[in-house]
This record gives sequence, structure tokens and C-alpha cells, in this order.
Amino acid sequence: MKELPSEKSIQKMWNYAEKYAEKSGTHLHPIRDVTEGVVLGLADNIDNYGRPICPCNFYPEKDEDGNWPESLYLPREEEAKRRDWICACDEMQIYKYCHCLLFVTEEGLPITEYLPEDHEGREIYGLVKDPTPDQGRALAKALAKQKETQG
Amino acid sequence: MAAPRDITDSTFESEVIKSDLPVLVDFWAPWCGPCRMVAPVVEELSEEYAGKVNFFKMNTDENPSIPTQFSIRSIPSLLIFKGGELHDTIVGFRPKSDLKKRLEAALA
Repeated sequence: MKELPSEKSIQKMWNYAEKYAEKSGTHLHPIRDVTEGVVLGLADNIDNYGRPICPCNFYPEKDEDGNWPESLYLPREEEAKRRDWICACDEMQIYKYCHCLLFVTEEGLPITEYLPEDHEGREIYGLVKDPTPDQGRALAKALAKQKETQG
Repeated sequence: MAAPRDITDSTFESEVIKSDLPVLVDFWAPWCGPCRMVAPVVEELSEEYAGKVNFFKMNTDENPSIPTQFSIRSIPSLLIFKGGELHDTIVGFRPKSDLKKRLEAALA
């Protein structure tokens, strides 16, 4: 049995998850055990790597020379230095899609409306419309604004 | 009772690659929410397909080599092996009916 993360990090992640769900117009998963699993994973990554890295990816490990196999993801200690998979991850902030099922619709489905059609989320869940399109997707909105300014 | 058995990087070859039966491996991590939804479904399937398919689970936090070898990205990921080779990859939570279709395809 894996040792539980610190109570401080667990509480911090519960507070964060509840606030971010409200801000982004999403819900925490209706099965509490699912949400609790993700909250514990995020808290554990805070305790070990300093940042709430998504616990639903497989991250390669560094070998004794500090190298790692080529992968979509970096070792956790490297992921902690960039923001792609730090919760709320880029996928959440651009597409409002949470493959970890932390931020979902009231029915417990991840929003897939904004994903590219060939994304695995579309294949798994089909088209799940965003019930609150005026909320969330901060990064997508910032990028669109930047493009508009530049264009 | 034929619950999925734990396998490790070191037992993978003997249990999966050398298996006479098709094999389903559930790649999971202790604190991954969707893994908690997939596990009971895989457990039910392991009972229904006892004697036809072998079921295993691998904790990716403790076994980094095999997940790297099979390019696991998101977890949970379910990999189906047939004749010692990768036959199918299923990423994320799926309903039991979907998983049964994939298993039936492996048994055909």
C-alpha cells in the first residue's frame, strides 16, 4: 500500500479542485472515489516533485546517467519544470478536456467538444458538448486574443 | 475466482509473452481516478473469461520498463496480447460491453 501524501497537500488539492471546477463550469466526478484518487495523485506529486503533475499519464524514469527514453512525456522531475501536464493542464485549459476525469460534466463525462476529431478522447467518449461554454478554456482564449492582436 | 494477478517488469515475459492463452494487461497507477473505474470491470471480465483469457495488472509506478517498451501514455491502458504479440490497445475507461467486443475479437 502506497503511503498517503501529506494532509497539507491533500487539503490543498481538494480546495483547488473544488474552486477550479466552479471557475471552469465543470463538476468533480460524481463517483467520489475517482476524484479522491486524482486528488491523492496530485498531492503526492506536490510532495515529491513540487508541482501537481497529472497522475493519469505514464512518465518515463531517468536512468543512472540522467537520460530517459523518448516519450510524449518527460520524467516527472522534468515535467515539473514545464506547464503542459501540471493541473490544470494545457489540454484542460485549451480544450476543457480532462482525461483524468477530475473536471467533467454533471453526468461524469469529460468534455470533448473542442478536441481535434482524431484525439483519443473523441474516440473514447464521442462528442460531449460543453454545457458552460462561457467558462474555462483560459489558455485557448488567450491564444486566440494573441493571434487577433498579431493578425 | 480468477481475479487479475499482479505482474512486474521481470515476470511480464513468462506470464504474458509466453502465455498459451490471449492475455489482457491492465496498466494502472494507485492514484489515477479512471483506473479505479476500470479495475472492477476488468475483475468481472476475468471471471467471465476464466480459462479463455488470462488477466493481469501492472502498477506503472513500480514497473517502468514494460510500459516504456509498449509506449504507454495515458493510464489506464489495457493491452491485449495474442500469441505473444500485442493485438489491441484500449486507452481510458470503456464500458464492459466495449471491452467484451475487443476480447471476442482477440479470441476469434
